[in-house]
Amino acid sequence: MTITYVDLDVRPILIAGGEPFGEIMAAVEGLPPGHGLRLLASFKPVPLFAVMAKRGFDHAEREIGDGDWEVLFSPAGAAAAPAPEPVAADGSNWPAPVGEAMDLRDLDPPEPMQKVMQAIEAADPGDVVSALLCRKPPILIPELETLGHEWHGGFEDGGESYRIFIRKRAG
Amino acid sequence: MMGATLSRWTMSFFAAALLSLIMAEVLMILGVGYPTEGIADAGSLIVVHVTAIGWLSLLMCGALLQFLPVLVARTLYSDRLSLPALVALVTGLFALVLGFMQFGGIMQTQAPWFALAAVLLIAGFALILWNLALTLKEADEVPLPVWFVIGGLIAAVFTVGLGAVFATTLGGGQVGWMAVLTGAGVPVHAIAGLGGWLTFTAMGVSYRLLAMFMLAPDLSRPTTRLALILGSAALAIAVVGGIAVILADGNLTLALLAALVIGVAALVLYGFDIVFLYRKRRRPVIELNSRTAGIALASLAATVVLMLVLVAFGQLGNQIAAVVFLAAFGWLTGLGLSQLFKIVAFMTWLETYGPIMGRMPTPRVQDLVVEERARKWFWTYFGGTWTATLALLAGQALLFRVMVLVMLIGTLGLVAQFLRTRRLLDIDAAKRLPEGTRKPQLLISNAT
Repeated sequence: MTITYVDLDVRPILIAGGEPFGEIMAAVEGLPPGHGLRLLASFKPVPLFAVMAKRGFDHAEREIGDGDWEVLFSPAGAAAAPAPEPVAADGSNWPAPVGEAMDLRDLDPPEPMQKVMQAIEAADPGDVVSALLCRKPPILIPELETLGHEWHGGFEDGGESYRIFIRKRAG
Repeated sequence: MMGATLSRWTMSFFAAALLSLIMAEVLMILGVGYPTEGIADAGSLIVVHVTAIGWLSLLMCGALLQFLPVLVARTLYSDRLSLPALVALVTGLFALVLGFMQFGGIMQTQAPWFALAAVLLIAGFALILWNLALTLKEADEVPLPVWFVIGGLIAAVFTVGLGAVFATTLGGGQVGWMAVLTGAGVPVHAIAGLGGWLTFTAMGVSYRLLAMFMLAPDLSRPTTRLALILGSAALAIAVVGGIAVILADGNLTLALLAALVIGVAALVLYGFDIVFLYRKRRRPVIELNSRTAGIALASLAATVVLMLVLVAFGQLGNQIAAVVFLAAFGWLTGLGLSQLFKIVAFMTWLETYGPIMGRMPTPRVQDLVVEERARKWFWTYFGGTWTATLALLAGQALLFRVMVLVMLIGTLGLVAQFLRTRRLLDIDAAKRLPEGTRKPQLLISNAT
């Protein structure tokens, strides 16, 4: 499938000694679903690759002369539809969680979120991690959805604990 | 990453709010307004509105832009509406102050400051409400605390609406019903603002924030529901009923007394809930912000008791300034400064370390603040506030001004702590900015 690219030339900002990161992120935010970003920069923007990968973009870069670079950021698996409205996954056919279930109920926010992210980072794609929290996590859930991990969860102990299962995104 | 959960302009709202608080305190120290001047004089009106709009409303708006989306697990409808709203509110307040100066004969100009203030303040609050309403519209479920916030926002509409009517009348508008409302509606305007918009919203936000930071369960108890129903009823009677009674030339005092009885019942239930939260917490030793929030809550209780005692002795009319002062500075400002201490650290942590969270070690949120240093400023602030309230009750104008100076010292001490937190100054320089992080800007939160 062909991807339509939106152009962004940050060379003038870089030459003026500015920081184009905000500009780039704004452009990424503004991309219509399925569109890619064609970035022109005066150096190979390696740190950006990881940031964009987190946001679900593959990259392909080439030098275009005078030390300038063109980078094509394409939505990973461009055929995949944009994420639907955030809904918890069903999870009935998920594998058993890896490792011990973490009891994070006595940690101060945002440490539970940090521990969960750490566990996801350490897990293999497709693995499931689980944690016991003292509430439905208001910041973690949108974050998981942004990163493309599936989750489901529910209250326990008459509403005083919340158990969450997270399946790390494949690939 | 983390961009979706951070409101871009909230820190700017907080900065403008804190500057207004400092300004209001400086004005009181200089002897502007009550008790040096009369309670309805221009100086008093200026101090009241710099506090209510400049400090408390901007603080609340900034906090809601950040927390309402989190409470309903949605993203803010628009980050772009926030800055125009802030500009409209600040310039609107400026125009209002000029209007009061004109009204008090302090400044001789013919410019229509009141009309301009009304237009700008309506625009500013409307932008905020629009943004929050569209955020709420996307919510799957509206948790109980958010209903308090919705009640508070409706009260804000009435507060601003009545304020606009007053401004139009004072600015020379000659409509009969407007003049009637302006003549008798000031208590209703004050109750809608202080009791509805600010207190009711603060109650809703405090249910969640206190639970979150003390590791207590989110409440959905019958008492919470009843507090919501009674509180809403009290506000409806005082505000909607109050306006109707004034326009129908009825007995406003009776309506306000009925609202007082029901409102006190709502606050008592809220008190039970909060005590329950403190008891059910999983955290054995609570942090400074939760302790100082407790002092603010005690100030709310003291405000209610003071009000009831004054009503019993038929002195409420003479001493209303002390009640309003304790509510605004003991309760609302106390709670606001307490929560700012934590929120600034929390937001700064998310912005700085969110992008590398889970992938490498980061400082903790607690490392962004030094409780030992902040504690004395909180005590200075609260000590000043309580003594200033007593000075008002005793009619000691000079003592009052000296105590507000003490409050100002406490405030400045805390503002310095907030700035240090935002600049990450209390973190060991070597650990401050690991690879992949950026130093946050002072006034803007960047999505990273």
